[in-house]
Parts: sequence; structure tokens; C-alpha cells
Amino acid sequence: MTFANPHEQLFYEALRIRRAEERIIEIYPTDRIQSPVHLSIGQEAIAVGVCHPLRIEDPLFGSYRSHAFFLAKGGSMRSMFAELYGKATGGSGGKAGSMHLTAPEVGFMGSSAVVASTIPNAVGAALAAQRRETGQVVVTVFGDGATEEGVYHESLNFAALHQLPVLFLCENNGLAVHSKLSDRQAYGICEHAATYGITTQRCREGWDFVRVNDLVGQAVEAIRRGDGPRFIECRTYRYQEHVGIGCDHDVGYRPRGPLEAWQANDPLLNEPALVEAFDPAIRDEIDDAVQFAESSPWPGPEQLLADVA
Amino acid sequence: MGVAYKIEEDQAQTTTYREALFRCMRGALADHPETFILGQGVDDHKGTFGSTVGLAEEFGAGRVMDSPLAEESMTGIGIGAALNGLYPIQTHIRADFALLAMNQIVNMAAKYKYMFGGRFEVPMLIRMVIGRSWGQGAQHSQSLQSLFAHVPGLTVIMPATSDSILETYPWIIENHRGPVISLEHRLLYDIAFRGDDARPENSPLSSRLLRRGKDVTIVATSIMVLEAKRAAEHLAETAGIEAEVIDLHCVSHPDRQMILDSVARTGRLIVADTSWQAYGVAAEISRIVCEHDPSILRAPIATLGMAPAPCPTAKTLEDLYYPTLRSLADTAARMVVGEEDHGVTLPEEASMADVYKRFKGPF
Repeated sequence: MTFANPHEQLFYEALRIRRAEERIIEIYPTDRIQSPVHLSIGQEAIAVGVCHPLRIEDPLFGSYRSHAFFLAKGGSMRSMFAELYGKATGGSGGKAGSMHLTAPEVGFMGSSAVVASTIPNAVGAALAAQRRETGQVVVTVFGDGATEEGVYHESLNFAALHQLPVLFLCENNGLAVHSKLSDRQAYGICEHAATYGITTQRCREGWDFVRVNDLVGQAVEAIRRGDGPRFIECRTYRYQEHVGIGCDHDVGYRPRGPLEAWQANDPLLNEPALVEAFDPAIRDEIDDAVQFAESSPWPGPEQLLADVA
Repeated sequence: MGVAYKIEEDQAQTTTYREALFRCMRGALADHPETFILGQGVDDHKGTFGSTVGLAEEFGAGRVMDSPLAEESMTGIGIGAALNGLYPIQTHIRADFALLAMNQIVNMAAKYKYMFGGRFEVPMLIRMVIGRSWGQGAQHSQSLQSLFAHVPGLTVIMPATSDSILETYPWIIENHRGPVISLEHRLLYDIAFRGDDARPENSPLSSRLLRRGKDVTIVATSIMVLEAKRAAEHLAETAGIEAEVIDLHCVSHPDRQMILDSVARTGRLIVADTSWQAYGVAAEISRIVCEHDPSILRAPIATLGMAPAPCPTAKTLEDLYYPTLRSLADTAARMVVGEEDHGVTLPEEASMADVYKRFKGPF
């Protein structure tokens, strides 16, 4: 597919992620996807804005909410749906499910269900990149809740101490499950990261994939030059519930106002001409991936004890 | 394999556990450019009890890295480095500190290969030192092998001799593509070994039959292997009782057949471990035998381990806390003779620490 400008390309990639997750919502009630899904709907712009400036060989480590980053980094739609179905053709042979997507062939290095756990792994990969002079920039993606974990602080310290080529990318959607940020944090995320001597930037327009792309592009360039780690906090908004396919603005822990404000800015909801132009190709790709997952074989019993140690 | 850690051909020559560790650490850095050592104080003047001393000067600070006091991230950084082409060797000057890294060890290192369908490998060696004696107390003395060996995806070893180190470490670094946890016993560091034990035929990640005997099988770990050999020699000399001694060595992947064959021959089993018996090595070896065929046992299994309490500091209590040469010999004699009043003269040593300890604290 060819695009008239970067906005259209990023729009296409973001729409592709949203439509894939909407398909998950459609399929979910059939129980053919038996895996806890943490949807990124509302947050897609960050994934495409971050991944676009990266090279394939730049490693990126994600969290349990990683469908968007998996696809944006270049993971295959077939691989993802087959993995969600638990099929042998999934990216991890059906052993991973939604929370542990991976695509090492495009530098998507895995994702963990235990909050903040992959942050030091990314820093370690950056240490190896520095030592081996690979020219890689490593990206660690985490939510605002992960910044409360001790290992996050330890990782910032080590990355700054050794001036490692790593981008810390915080997707701040203001919620840890159902807990508000203001009930959890006594510090400012950027202000705190800056105390390690790391250059930090905040992007309040997390719906704007071009802005995210530009910010990350500059940061990645600086890191690749050898300027040491960078930190970017992107504000964003989670449209769905923490886990599962539902909406939860009616249960009392968050008001609808911010959702509506965010949606008013969301390009995927406000540029119908592009949606109309891109939807057919995206629908075909997703149809193909779902068909692939449905028709793929289950992993056999020989897989139960394969690859343990 | 590099010359730096070739085992000396001269069998009369002795090598201390510390020297063996040092030779393996130096050999790893010299022969494998992807290796690096990361741990608290690995570059200081004491160099992890002498096992890394001088290596930072020789190989540079990038290969021998002091670490912040941040066990979880240091382990996670090791994992990430392994995922991107390096081989980390990590150190914990007490195994107790590794408890701060349990998330990375159990949730990440142990699962990275399986969870992602074999798409990744995490080759790394994590060294942990078990403390004992001179008032180590509750948090500098824990022997945590069963916690780690319980988790699929981890390989756990307890080298009992210099030979075990020299055979196993270079082999792991060169051949094994997964995470290995090695529990080194602090009291072994100063002991010189002759290097005349039988060597394993295939992978060094297995168990070792160290002494043949027809009367009782003693399966032991770490420093209890030394006690088992001393007990066996004493029993042979004073009572004609011949104990067979198996060094379990690879706690996570013991040589089941070696153990079963031995117990089938002797009909008696003692498990002598450095840790608590409940849910541990003692329980696991008993499970292996009982699930296979309990009728090969002519007597109930006996196990020795630490008293089921945190380790006390006072010497009078610490001496009661650990199994001893005497309690091991007594257990074996009772089992073979078949009577409480077995009449076998027991060895005199009251405390293993008195025998093996060559250092004065604080470490």
C-alpha cells in the first residue's frame, strides 16, 4: 500500500490495530480466544508513533497490553490471531496467548504479565547493544503503574549510570486496573525520571501519532548518536476496561467526560474518508488472519515438555 | 575449551574451591568475549571471596562490573543482555540476597524460553554463596536450592568440590543455553581437593557416584558430600560398614537411575542435605525412590538437614542446628545394624564448622 504522507501511513497502521482489536471483541463471546485480553483501543497512536522511527533490529519490550506494539513493530496479523487462539502456528506456538506476544524476527522481544518485569530486560539488551556495538536502540514500554515498582527505579539508575542506548516510553493512561494515578503516586513521572539525569519529554497529545512519531524519532536519533537514555511520557486514554472486552464507564470509578474529550481528538473517529479508504484492505487482512487461526492445528502433546530448560 | 581451566593432569596436586572458581571466572572472560561478570563488589579488593579478584584490572570494568544494590534489576539486566548476545555471570555473596531477584529468576529467566514457544534462550550463570558458622544468622545462611529447583526452567547445581567447579562451569558457559543457578558453599572455599573423584561420563549436569559400598546409600549435597565421605571412611574403618556415596550435584536434574540402582543394591537410603528437609532435596529423593519401587528399601529412609527453624547465631544453638559428621555416621550405623544401640564407635568431631572453617568473620 502506498500513502500520500506520513499522517496517512500512521493512520493506516493505527486503524489496523483498532480493527484487529474490535475483531477480538466480536470473537470473544464465542470462547475461541481463551486468553485474558488487555485491549489498547484508544492508545494505538502511541504504538505506531513509537515503532515507526525504529529499525527492525531495534529491540522493543512490552507489557501484557501489547497487541498494538506487536502489530506496530511489524508482527504478523496471522501470528497474533493464531496465538490468541492457542494454535501451533501462533508466534509462540500457542504457549503464550495474549499477554506474552512475541516476534523476535522484527525485534518485538516479548511481553510480561507481571508489571514492570521487562523494563530491566530492555536495559540489559541495551547494555549488550552498547558492549557489542550493534547500533541498536532498545525501547521499553510500560504504563504509569509500572513506575511505582522498585525495579523501574533500579533500571533508570543503571541505564543512566552507564549511558545505555535505551528509550523509556511510559504510556500514562492514568489507571492501574481501576486505581487512579492521584491515589497512587506522590511524584511526577517525568520529574522523577529527570532526577537520574535523563532527558525527559512529555507528550500530552497521545492521540496524535505524528507528534509521537516526531518526538520519538528525535529521541531515537539522539540515543543512536550515543547520547544515553531518553525518557518520554505519553498521556493516553484507555477506552475499554482493564482486562476483557467491555466498556466500564457505567460502574462508577471513572466519568464519561474524559472519554468523550479524548474521542473528539481521536483521528480514527474523525477522519471518515481515510477510514473508508483503508477499511477494505484491513478487513481482508484480518479475515485472512482469523481464517488462518481457525484452520490451524492445536499444539500436540509433544509440545507440553518442549523448550522447558 | 581454553587452557585456563584445564584440569591439572597431576592428580597429586591440590586445588582449592576458591582457586577453581577463580580459574573458571578468568577462563570464561579470556575464552569467551561475550561473557561478563556482574555483581556487588566483583571488582573490589576482596573480589567475591577471591573468585574474581584482579579480573576487573585484567579484563576491564566493562567485563567485570560492580553493580548497584538492586538485585531484581541486575538479574533482569542479565536476562536482557543474554537475550541480546552476551553471557552474564552474576554473583550474590549470600544466596539470601537472591530472594530480592525472585521475580526475574522465576517469572522471567525460568520462563522466557518456554513461554515464547522456544523463540528465545537465556544462557546465564547465577552464582550464590551459602553462608555458615561464625554467627551468619538467619539471613546469611539459607540454603535455597529447593526453592529454585522447584521451578521448571531452572537448572540448579551445588558443586561440592573443586573438580565439580572445573568440570561444570566451563561446560555450562560453552554448552548450556539456559539459566543455571549454582549454590556455592562458603565453607568449601578454603578447602583443597586432590581432584581424584570419578568424573561424569556425559554432561556434568548430573550426579556423581563418589564411593562404592554395599550397605547403605548416602545421597548428599554440597558440603554434606564431604561429611558423607568422611562418615563412610570412618564406618568402613571402625565397623566394616560400606556406604555408597552419591554427590547429587545437579539438584534440579538428579541422575535418577544412579540413585535407584544404588538403593536397589544397598537397600538403604540416607539423604544428607544442607537445607531444611520439608519440601526439599530430602523429600524429592525420597519421592523418586518411593514412586519407582519402595520394595527396594530394606529400611525406612532417613534424612538429615537443618533444624526446622531460622538459623540462630549463638554458637551453642548453631552447633545443634546443622547435621554433623557424627549424626550422619550414627544414622548410617543404626540403619545398617538395625538397632538403636548399634555399638559402632562414632567420630568425635562436634561441629563441621570447627573442622572446615579456616576463616574468621565477618564473612
